[in-house]
Amino acid sequence: MNSTWPNILSRRDLIRELTLSELRSRSAETRLGWVWWLVDPLIMMLIYWGVVVGIFGRGQSYTPYPVFILCALLPWKHFQSGLTHASKVLRNNEGLIKSIAFPTMILPLTNVIAGFAYFLFGLVVLIAAALFFELPIGASVIQLPALMAFQLLLVTSFSLVVTSFGALIRDLSGFLTHVLRVGFYFSPTLYGVDMVRERVAEGALGDSAWAEWIPTLYMLNPFAILIHGYRQALFFGGWLEPRWWGVLAAEAIVLFVIGQAVYRYFDRRVIKFL
Amino acid sequence: MSDPVVEVRGLGIHYRLQSRSRMGIKKLLSQGLGGQVPTIWALRDVDLTCHEGEVVGVIGPNGAGKSTLCLALSGILEPDEGTAKIRGHVSTLLTLGAGFNRELSGRDNILLNAAFLGIPRKQALDRMERIVEFADLGEFIDQPIRFYSNGMRSRLGFAIATAMDPEILVLDEVLSVGDRTFRQKSRLRIGEMMDRSKLIVIVSHATAFLRVVCTHVLWLEKGRVRGYGKASEILDAYEEEMGAVDPAIDESEV
Repeated sequence: MNSTWPNILSRRDLIRELTLSELRSRSAETRLGWVWWLVDPLIMMLIYWGVVVGIFGRGQSYTPYPVFILCALLPWKHFQSGLTHASKVLRNNEGLIKSIAFPTMILPLTNVIAGFAYFLFGLVVLIAAALFFELPIGASVIQLPALMAFQLLLVTSFSLVVTSFGALIRDLSGFLTHVLRVGFYFSPTLYGVDMVRERVAEGALGDSAWAEWIPTLYMLNPFAILIHGYRQALFFGGWLEPRWWGVLAAEAIVLFVIGQAVYRYFDRRVIKFL
Repeated sequence: MSDPVVEVRGLGIHYRLQSRSRMGIKKLLSQGLGGQVPTIWALRDVDLTCHEGEVVGVIGPNGAGKSTLCLALSGILEPDEGTAKIRGHVSTLLTLGAGFNRELSGRDNILLNAAFLGIPRKQALDRMERIVEFADLGEFIDQPIRFYSNGMRSRLGFAIATAMDPEILVLDEVLSVGDRTFRQKSRLRIGEMMDRSKLIVIVSHATAFLRVVCTHVLWLEKGRVRGYGKASEILDAYEEEMGAVDPAIDESEV
């Protein structure tokens, strides 16, 4: 059964059942169960707060830093764990794929959905933290559903490509760790997008035409826009500029079309490589 | 006569003889774009026509392409050459318990596995007790699967896979599950399923068993059809060539 959209949508039962078992089994292994889903983002937040503010003494322009950093960590974690799983998902399910005919794209899709469930728990922690620090957020939160929709599209697109190539090239998962690390520091995670402009102006290129272009090029990274958007919604209480909405939407849609085309190109051929 | 249930014409499926771990990005791209790499044909020029009501056995030495044929009939692998037309919903019993989640209980796994096999949740819930009873695992049914022995896991897999009414059933050497009592029970269950389904394809080395249940037999050798026809004729020829089989061995492989 090929991974065409009608085939996939006709197996909604399977997607739901698989997502639930994935979530249930991850929490069944541990004593705290699903409480971990709340504790995890809390711990992540505290670690970065301790390191960046406590040890390096930075981040004063982004106070309260815990909320600032969590706005970036949550979508990035979704992306990172989605891709890490995706690179191995077909090989881990080899027996299954070779025994039952079903659209295999369901496996990476389920993976993205389960990761999104964790993200939502993290979002609860994030909103609680924003309220605790009495940040000036209000109407700006209505940007969240659109941001989450584009995040889902982006994580899905990259996951689909990584799933196919992960089955073809065994070394991909080891390589991926490093690519993701680079991506993390090149995205506005620990710092804000304003710092890019500032640093370029201070540097050697400060007077050249590049000074204008580099911050714009930097923002073409869809995750830069996404993270900046979350910060507008939950940290600054402002609005993401319309042009960035446009770029984000265009990138998410184009990448999604490419991602699913790549997956469907390799779809059945990949099985022989497992 | 109505259209044949299975119509296979000139079917060929090949595998690539390349170690994946040593495959560079360059090679991969050229393959993806249709470049040439050494291949081995697991099946070639296979023609097969099966009609409603038949039970077709598939025999042949190891590496003859029996399992690959099952994968093609189930729609898991696509033909590289020729066509495979299947009219009806195929249920496969290729590996028992594939798709189980080790951390979940037997009952949760029944629902998960049923979803993989395309059984709607409501129907799976309706048949839950029947499945639990057939698998006969006692209180283990509420324990995570990771506490199960291999035999118990296969029994549960068999119970789930055979709990529905399949149109076309493909069995790949899965009849040797569990202890003697369970084997007898599962043979009875297969018999019941045979009465209800349109077509059954069974891969087995147990010629005595095939002689009893099959109407037709397909003999594969090195990926090609060596013979196809009435079960007794093909099995006679096969046994003559392979030499007489020790009945004790035959029994254990059923």
